Amino acid sequence: MEKTVATLEKGTVCSAWNYSAQRLATGSINGLLTIFDSPDPASSSPFSPSSFQVHEGSIVKVAWVPPEYGDAIACILDDGTLSLWEEVTGEGQSLQWKICTKFQNKSARVLDIQFGGSSTCLKLVVAYSDGYAKVYELQNPLELNTWQLQAEFQNVIDSVSKFAKASCLSASISWIPQIGESQQLSFVLGFNSDIPQLNSSKVWEFDQLHQRWLTVAELALPENTGDPVHAVAWAPNICRPYEIISVATQMGIAIWHIGLHPDVNGHLSVEKIALLSGHQGEVWQMEWDMSGMTLASTGSDGVVRLWQSNLNGVWHEQAVLEPTS
Amino acid sequence: MPAPAAPNSDDQLSLFSPPPSSPKQPIIYPLHHSLSSPVSRIAISWSRGNTLRLSLLPQPSSNGGIEVNDGDDSSGGSVVEVKLSAGNGGIDDDAQWRRIVYGSVAPFAMFQSRKNSAFSFSKLPVGALSNVDWWEYVMEYSKEINSLLGTTKSMASSIVDDPRRILMVDEEPTSLKAAWELLEIFYADKQSQAWLPERLVDWLADYDSLFSETQFTVYSKLVDLQQRLLNMQTIEDDQKYWDCLSSALALGWLDIVVKLLRLHGSYQLDQLSRRETENGLVEAVVVLVSKMPRLRPELQAGRLGECYKNKTDFIKGWETWRARVTKLECSGYWVQCGHQKTREGLRKILQIMLGNTEHLSATTCHWVELYIAHFIYIRPFTVGFESLYSQAQKCIQLKPVSHPHSLMGLMVGILGENTEVVLAECSRAFGPWMVTHAIELLTAGNDQSEILLHEVRQNLGGVSIEELHRLVYAQVLASNQLTWQIAPVYLTSCRPGMGMLEILLYRQPVHLKQGLLKNLEICRLYELDTVSSNIMKIAGVHHWKHGRKGSGIFWLQQAQDEIRLNKIAQQLFDFVGKSVSEESFKQWEGLIELLGSDTRTAGGLEFLHKYRDFKRSLQQVVDGKATDAARQAVESLILLMKNPSTPQQFWLPLLHDSLKLLTWREGPLLDVAQTNLLLNKLQELSMARMRPDYVEADLPTQALSTVRLALATNLGRAILEEQ
Repeated sequence: MEKTVATLEKGTVCSAWNYSAQRLATGSINGLLTIFDSPDPASSSPFSPSSFQVHEGSIVKVAWVPPEYGDAIACILDDGTLSLWEEVTGEGQSLQWKICTKFQNKSARVLDIQFGGSSTCLKLVVAYSDGYAKVYELQNPLELNTWQLQAEFQNVIDSVSKFAKASCLSASISWIPQIGESQQLSFVLGFNSDIPQLNSSKVWEFDQLHQRWLTVAELALPENTGDPVHAVAWAPNICRPYEIISVATQMGIAIWHIGLHPDVNGHLSVEKIALLSGHQGEVWQMEWDMSGMTLASTGSDGVVRLWQSNLNGVWHEQAVLEPTS
Repeated sequence: MPAPAAPNSDDQLSLFSPPPSSPKQPIIYPLHHSLSSPVSRIAISWSRGNTLRLSLLPQPSSNGGIEVNDGDDSSGGSVVEVKLSAGNGGIDDDAQWRRIVYGSVAPFAMFQSRKNSAFSFSKLPVGALSNVDWWEYVMEYSKEINSLLGTTKSMASSIVDDPRRILMVDEEPTSLKAAWELLEIFYADKQSQAWLPERLVDWLADYDSLFSETQFTVYSKLVDLQQRLLNMQTIEDDQKYWDCLSSALALGWLDIVVKLLRLHGSYQLDQLSRRETENGLVEAVVVLVSKMPRLRPELQAGRLGECYKNKTDFIKGWETWRARVTKLECSGYWVQCGHQKTREGLRKILQIMLGNTEHLSATTCHWVELYIAHFIYIRPFTVGFESLYSQAQKCIQLKPVSHPHSLMGLMVGILGENTEVVLAECSRAFGPWMVTHAIELLTAGNDQSEILLHEVRQNLGGVSIEELHRLVYAQVLASNQLTWQIAPVYLTSCRPGMGMLEILLYRQPVHLKQGLLKNLEICRLYELDTVSSNIMKIAGVHHWKHGRKGSGIFWLQQAQDEIRLNKIAQQLFDFVGKSVSEESFKQWEGLIELLGSDTRTAGGLEFLHKYRDFKRSLQQVVDGKATDAARQAVESLILLMKNPSTPQQFWLPLLHDSLKLLTWREGPLLDVAQTNLLLNKLQELSMARMRPDYVEADLPTQALSTVRLALATNLGRAILEEQ
């Protein structure tokens, strides 16, 4: 049975749980960031909230920084900027949330962000409304204000083309899920924009040898490359000889298999395994479970759908969770 | 479970059932919430294991939230937690279920280790090890698991004092136990394969009551009769009495039959004389029932029937017994029996003993009962698995059921030797615990199932069915704070489980020491060094940032996190470089102490240690202690200045602090070589000051010249001293 674990403040528009599902951060339409804490994992006592103002306008999205870098939250704000807040104790002070840094960009708005990398090297990908993605790297693992821009590129296959007047409504980023010190750096990025070439989801990989980001795969059939992408999600991989990425477009949710080994041109083999239809309207969010075997999705139809593959590898809709009052 | 978890219901959110023949519609679960406005957006997050946390957010008011407190008093949304497929095997009591879950860990782990050692010893597939020891292990495992599922005494065994009490069950039997015993009978207990029918008779005697949930059964008939018995005087006039007798006999419940027959009115003392023949016939039937031959090694004390251990003797015994039944059936005494119902009832009983198909079919309620009756009276010589399945099919045709009980589905799967069906039924009715533990029995000696369940499947992403089910079960365990710690036992028993274990451990909260230590212990046990170091890093950073600097350093050191420790050392340098006043230094002294003298850690930390030693000696000098202390301080100073890891920014503060030593009244403390070393360093420092990145120490402007002068003076005195 479902049970209610927290009641949110009025005007809440976004939420995110931390790595251990112990803390919930929510952002509201009036710029309040609220943190709900579970005091003890074993107790069933309710989550206790504490709020503080981070912005005049609305918070659009919140995301936790990986735990190796402290208790910190990135907030995308409705003015298109990004700010980073951290819970710390200062000299002789009690624990409090402080701003670490603000990412300003005059020409474009932040659409989506995702933290990635490893326990020794934190990366942040920011997707902007002009179709550009910027990759930042944290210089000092103990100071969340020491970001350095590592790369900046548009979401296109060949790095030569540039689209100056792109206007993007939304973007979705998903890093390859991994823990520990693995050196592989990859993420998938898709846009919903007026430039077809920017839209399709592309897998970006960091080329250590030449210190640059390259597209290694495009997750779209030739006839659909221009379709706007609403959400992407990279599945955890506990033993598969290939990766799985789900991509949501107006056609539905596509499940892609991506090979692990590049061909002579450095490209990864891709195969579209399934196209799952069920959601009425746009898919806004997709999340894989810890085993990478169940996908949960939600969107403008206001329901949660769970997808699984059966023993024959056929994907299907397993269940629907429908809110009723 | 999002929906009320009705045991054995089809609507459980069971994972990985076999492909349905027709496209299956997804199951729809309502998510109840108490929000007054409709939900416009849901945010998804996977929590522990397969728990989903959903933030249900209504449309925020368009006034930008400025007047959110005005007007309606609705809340802003709510977060609900949904547990998917809790899979408690139909057992509703959480504590009891957890006892089963915990209790099954040790037998499972023990069996795995025996399997592994048997495998490595013989280099053969486990299925090929069909020696006696092996089957003992399998049985031991099965019995241990079985014992966790409760104790159910056969109802027929409880014929106690009350002559009118024919049914007695000590404990409510569970379908879970019934299912496990069925698997045990067919897959684990190789010893009793020769008397399989008798085992099934016992099994049904124990669990026929379970079928009553979905259909009419002999058991439910007897329960009805039990009620009536209390109010009945002349029981033999009641047709139900005779029906129940035939039914109970058909299922081989001899004890109940005899007990019921003895309730016959002709036994009453006042009736004996009038109903002598009638009573004689009843008693003759009682004797025949009590002496019915049974192919089994033993019977529980007080149970009826004649045991035969081998088939040859049994066949002889059976034929003799049948001959006696036929003889009684043809006896002339029936004509003399005046009570019509008794006469008909008893003759029907004889017909059942003679294996009359029509009667057997009429007296049993569902196909499993008919099937068992067939074994007893029509095919008593069945041994092993001869045509078991086709026989079952016939019985199903004779007694079709619209909503078959889960145990029926399981039985069909077993009899049809269809491992996939068996697993699907286990999964559907009893959930992941059952499947995970039952697979051990399915693969114990069956090569075919073993191949099926151990084959690595590309469709499943490179895991076998066995592994898949362990992963699913571990995920269920991981969703509960009280059971996640046993998930590693199942995860480490399969190849892909290690990856999931890493994720599981990584997601455990680290801020409470007890939990952290438990996590690290699990990491150590399974040699997950990378995860353990990661966890310690998380803990270290958490404590460091939350003002517990000592704990922070401790855990970062445990993690051997050179990068972060160096950054911390850098922070200490910056601090020490800025201010050398005794009070503030004391605050940091503890941290330097903690950073330890471990040579593996950064060179910078080594410096801090030497620096602390130097400061201590210097303190003693200031306190007016003897020249010895001063000499010690000088030694520390020289060590510090010689050490390449001492940051340049400290050189001047160090020397400035040492002015008192450089101008020691009782004589020069530094020899010529030492003084020259320091002068060289000072020279180097003067050069470095030209560079733009040079960090000026927080010292008086004339500090450098003061030090230089002091060194020059010392050099002069040292030269004189050495001559």
